[in-house]
Amino acid sequence: MAHRRGRAGIGALKKKGETSKFTKKAEEIKTTSLKSAMETVKQLEIKLTKFAKAHHKTIAKDPAFRHKFLSMCAPLGVDPLTTKKSFWSFLQMGDFYHELAVKVAEVCFAYRSRNGGIMSIKEVQSVLLRRGTKFRLNEVVTNYSADDIVVAIGKLKQLGSGFRTVKVGGTQMILSVPTELDNDHVQVIQLAQNAGGGITLNSVSDMIGWEDDRVKRAMDLLLSEGMAWIDRYEGLEYYWFPSVWKDSFVM
Amino acid sequence: MPKQFEYPEIFSFAPFFTIQPVLATREKQMGLWRELILSYHTSLKIKTLRVHDCPLWKNKEIGRELNSEAINTIMEDFVESGHGEWEDQTKTRCRILWRKPEQLASDIYDWADTNGFINSVCTVYELHSGEDINGMSFEGADEELLRRALLILEKQGKCTMFKGETSEEDGIKFF
Repeated sequence: MAHRRGRAGIGALKKKGETSKFTKKAEEIKTTSLKSAMETVKQLEIKLTKFAKAHHKTIAKDPAFRHKFLSMCAPLGVDPLTTKKSFWSFLQMGDFYHELAVKVAEVCFAYRSRNGGIMSIKEVQSVLLRRGTKFRLNEVVTNYSADDIVVAIGKLKQLGSGFRTVKVGGTQMILSVPTELDNDHVQVIQLAQNAGGGITLNSVSDMIGWEDDRVKRAMDLLLSEGMAWIDRYEGLEYYWFPSVWKDSFVM
Repeated sequence: MPKQFEYPEIFSFAPFFTIQPVLATREKQMGLWRELILSYHTSLKIKTLRVHDCPLWKNKEIGRELNSEAINTIMEDFVESGHGEWEDQTKTRCRILWRKPEQLASDIYDWADTNGFINSVCTVYELHSGEDINGMSFEGADEELLRRALLILEKQGKCTMFKGETSEEDGIKFF
């Protein structure tokens, strides 16, 4: 490993004769820390793989456990889904999440014309449930959680498919169209969520304080993308969001 | 006792009753209205839609109803799709064609072919209520609709019709 220690040391020596001693020591500590940090990570990885081997059945059966396992892997830079190391392939997680991703994408496409390409994870789950779609992980038919769906979407994202999640209030939505939704759009959708129904342009300005132009711009995009529908009632125009409306049905 | 009709979810969605300005959304909406009209009348076995008092135009539960312009748009679209035809000039009554005559025609011919009726004869009665037609799309079909389908087949040279003693005994020979 290349050390910068020498150069820094020389530089320090050049600047202040006495403090060069301390700089040298500081560099020593840095290197040792890095070495020991890497050693720690390696140890953690070994522990993690032992863990995976011992608990692979639970990882397969229990979505919550699986989620915890994945969150242990992430900070170590371990990805049991895509790593080519034959070791992790015994978990078969790559296949599981791939299948889940495909099914989620299918549902999103099927409902796209109705909701404009934005759909809550809860709603996707309820559709898959209704259809009786099952997934296998490690030969075991398993349940899948909203977290699993988020991981699956992450996989789709890696393939550059334009799928991503967006949080609207407390609800995770899946975006399956390349439409760029900025914060303004998300805020408007959230308002609709809070309102529990249709909202007017005026109510948006009243509640968030934007000028009319800004509200109209955001709403026009959502309307033109089919994410919002118009409801003309008693001389007023209300905007409703099928994805929000549907999500409110799902228990 | 007429069976209850299960309204689709979209019927409770307020904007369903406003014709959508965005084209792609409107197309989706029109498709849903066509489906609703067709399935409502088919499942309750109602043959004619009377525009002025069709219960589909309003949903009291959500306080929404179609205005007359919207009703016109929806009816025009429905008739154009081939699933309905006006019974009168003033467009107040629309006969529901739950299957388009062309579809029925090809279903009937396929059935005749599969069941060895080519170059053989069957009666109109047998077509809608006979023993061999269980599960066929034309089972229990309106006679008027059946005859239209058969006319199409005749024009295509796939069958010929001849009179029996009663209209039910009118015969069809398939080629």
